[in-house]
Amino acid sequence: MTEKILGEVQPAVPFYKSPERFGGMFGWIFSTDHKRIGILYLLSILFFFLTGVSLGFLMRLELLAPGPTLMKPQTYNALFTLHGVIMIFLFVIPGIPAIFGNFFLPIQIGARDVAFPRINLLSWWIYMAGALLALLSLFTGGGPIDTGWTFYVPYSLRTTVNVPLAVFGVFVLGFSSILTGINFVTTVHWLRAPGMTWFRLPLFVWSLYATAWVQILVTPVVGITLLLTLLERLVGVGVFDPAKGGDPILYQHLFWIYSHPAVYIMILPAMGVISEILPVFARRTIFGYKAIAFSSLAIASVGSLVWGHHMFVSGQSDLASLIFSFLTFLVAVPSAIKVFNWVATLYKGSIEVEPPLLFSLTFIFLFSIGGLTGLFQGALALDVHLHDTYWIVGHFHYVIFGGTGFAIFGALHYWLPKMFGRMYRKKISYLAWAVIFVGFNTLYFPMLILGWEGMPRRYYDYLAPFHTLQLISTIGSWILIAGLILMFVNLFYSIFKGERVGDNPWGGATLEWQIPSPPIRENFEKIPTVTRGPYDYGCS
Amino acid sequence: MENKEEFLAINQKTYIAVWVGLIILTGITVSVAGRNLGRWGIAVALAIAAAKAGVVLSYFMHLKYEKGIGLFKWMIPGIMVLFALFIGLTFFDVAFR
Amino acid sequence: MDVHENQHSEGSKTGMWLFILSEILLFGGLFILYAVYRFKHPSAFHLAAEELSRPLGTINTLILITSSLTMALSILSLKKGDRRSSLMFLAATLFLGFLFLLIKYFEWAGKISHQIFPDSPRLLERNQGEILFYGLYYSMTGLHALHLLVGLGVLFAMGFLIAKQKVNRANIVPLENSGLYWHLVDIIWIFLFPLFYLIT
Repeated sequence: MTEKILGEVQPAVPFYKSPERFGGMFGWIFSTDHKRIGILYLLSILFFFLTGVSLGFLMRLELLAPGPTLMKPQTYNALFTLHGVIMIFLFVIPGIPAIFGNFFLPIQIGARDVAFPRINLLSWWIYMAGALLALLSLFTGGGPIDTGWTFYVPYSLRTTVNVPLAVFGVFVLGFSSILTGINFVTTVHWLRAPGMTWFRLPLFVWSLYATAWVQILVTPVVGITLLLTLLERLVGVGVFDPAKGGDPILYQHLFWIYSHPAVYIMILPAMGVISEILPVFARRTIFGYKAIAFSSLAIASVGSLVWGHHMFVSGQSDLASLIFSFLTFLVAVPSAIKVFNWVATLYKGSIEVEPPLLFSLTFIFLFSIGGLTGLFQGALALDVHLHDTYWIVGHFHYVIFGGTGFAIFGALHYWLPKMFGRMYRKKISYLAWAVIFVGFNTLYFPMLILGWEGMPRRYYDYLAPFHTLQLISTIGSWILIAGLILMFVNLFYSIFKGERVGDNPWGGATLEWQIPSPPIRENFEKIPTVTRGPYDYGCS
Repeated sequence: MENKEEFLAINQKTYIAVWVGLIILTGITVSVAGRNLGRWGIAVALAIAAAKAGVVLSYFMHLKYEKGIGLFKWMIPGIMVLFALFIGLTFFDVAFR
Repeated sequence: MDVHENQHSEGSKTGMWLFILSEILLFGGLFILYAVYRFKHPSAFHLAAEELSRPLGTINTLILITSSLTMALSILSLKKGDRRSSLMFLAATLFLGFLFLLIKYFEWAGKISHQIFPDSPRLLERNQGEILFYGLYYSMTGLHALHLLVGLGVLFAMGFLIAKQKVNRANIVPLENSGLYWHLVDIIWIFLFPLFYLIT
């Protein structure tokens, strides 16, 4: 039911006009309304994303030609470290749960807010504190860190840059993630509306739920690892120092016990977004609802047992490598199930091409490429050749950027009209999409070839034969950035000047489309009683 | 309002009995430690510790009396399994280099 | 409010338990390190453990176990509406916790005065297994003591709120959740004790 509201006074007060305890900006940064918190995250996360993009831009500029181009090697090392830290800890990990999870989880289950609204606000404050600490490390102590985002010992114990402050900043960020996880699990267990059974939950909620468990359980492990790294540097406890009997490989175990599941924290909510969007634009119920729901849980659980595949060449035992390789192939199965089910959802559907669908389809394409390259890496013999090369860099950018990144773009195009009640210019969205798509593949596909041909990653300089592909890649980064700018300007402009939309511009069946755009403060006039599934287009 | 059933389920006597049990278990583990059990030493010590922890969880922390979804009841066993897997997989490396 | 009051306290309890799970995993990382290093240096760990005072460790264990009892009794009293007993038991818990920290302080001070602490020249002379033992000893008992200290702060705040009747028979969940945290501190020590004091 779409209504064009022209000059009519909307009866419902949008949440961003609802009176808060404080006025002005304080009404935002001290608000416990999950929707305002979602927008706080939207602004801060996008800010850090653009910072990360700028760092990437500079890195690619340096790699335009062999030899020094515009910076010294130390600066380059600091750039790729920061690019990783910012993109991973400040953008992709919080990403979808913090922005869209916060905004839509309560609405999609029929609740007025999350279980712990004040802790929700605290999560954002902790996020900002952690971010600030990490950024402060750039300008204090020994200067910007150069260890790579992985902080491997023994180098991180010996380098004179400001590892302690950066590591502490990341440690603080972990708390934000854990608290969000606790909030979401509790919310899904206790605040579902009457009739909202587990198997009527939107798949986005299932994905957030699975992700939340991972956040709660594995984030503390990287927490203690970083804390120990700090202690090692400050007082020399010895647990990671070979001179004292410590085992650097143990550091890697503890680090990756978190950081591998972390990539599932990144991708599961993204997959949840895709599962939301496809049924709406295929005008069909999702194929294999339970399979998709359970596959999220399967990915979260089996995915917590594959961390050693980052360590095949670290010196770990062959037996461990074999077992981790096997488990890695296993975890590909539930991901594949999702892809098959998505495609089956589209089959014989009544497809409506809109920007959210376009980004979702692109997700499937790019994520599949990334996922398939992952299978190459999972094979021990191949990984010996591919580890720490540009192949890996290509792989994770395809899955994380091509995956989660595009899912975020899709989510923005899908949900921004609900959040602000206004539509963007779709023609510009399509143009931006095209530029981004061309830029993305021009930037990252050459990396797969470069890695296959043996170029190592995190290298400031390279041999002449690699020049052509590096050049193409850098040009790709320029095209990509142009597309991103176009897309964000279009979206940002629409928030203030876009054409107004009604409750349900896309014809979705989940609860957020049954309330006004933008929602009122309490989300619902009256808590609904749910009688049908989330993708039930049987009777509209 | 207060759940009257939960209120009645546990009382002072039970708590004190649990406390006595914990003291006894502590006594056992300390006296056993003096003896040389070889490789079984640590297994016994951990088993007794697990028993003590289990008793604290079940009675002091009320897990035995939690009704409902079963979420609470599965959390601890679940986390034990996860932890066992973490240690196990790490040992596939450390013990076989 | 749409949320049923009982539902609200169940939700609060769920949140606390989830937090406890995360704390278990936090210490879990250290236990993994302990397991690996003990496996690699069994005799060095035995040797170093003999230097710790088993009597003091045992006393500390008994202290914490008793504090768990007084904690549980404090909650039980408040459920019955007996504010005075609740505060008394809470004070006992605080006292016992403080005692634990005192003993811990003397243990640490003793070791430090003998030049046994991370990076001390005396410690570095020893073999690697012993260095690792003490690295883990200080890290794990240190982190535990920090958690205990925070627990004391929380319980002190609870005492204040009970005295002001803000936490009472009808609003008892904050005290229950604080109790859960306190029992967690007890449980962690239940495992630390044998691993550091009883493995000789």
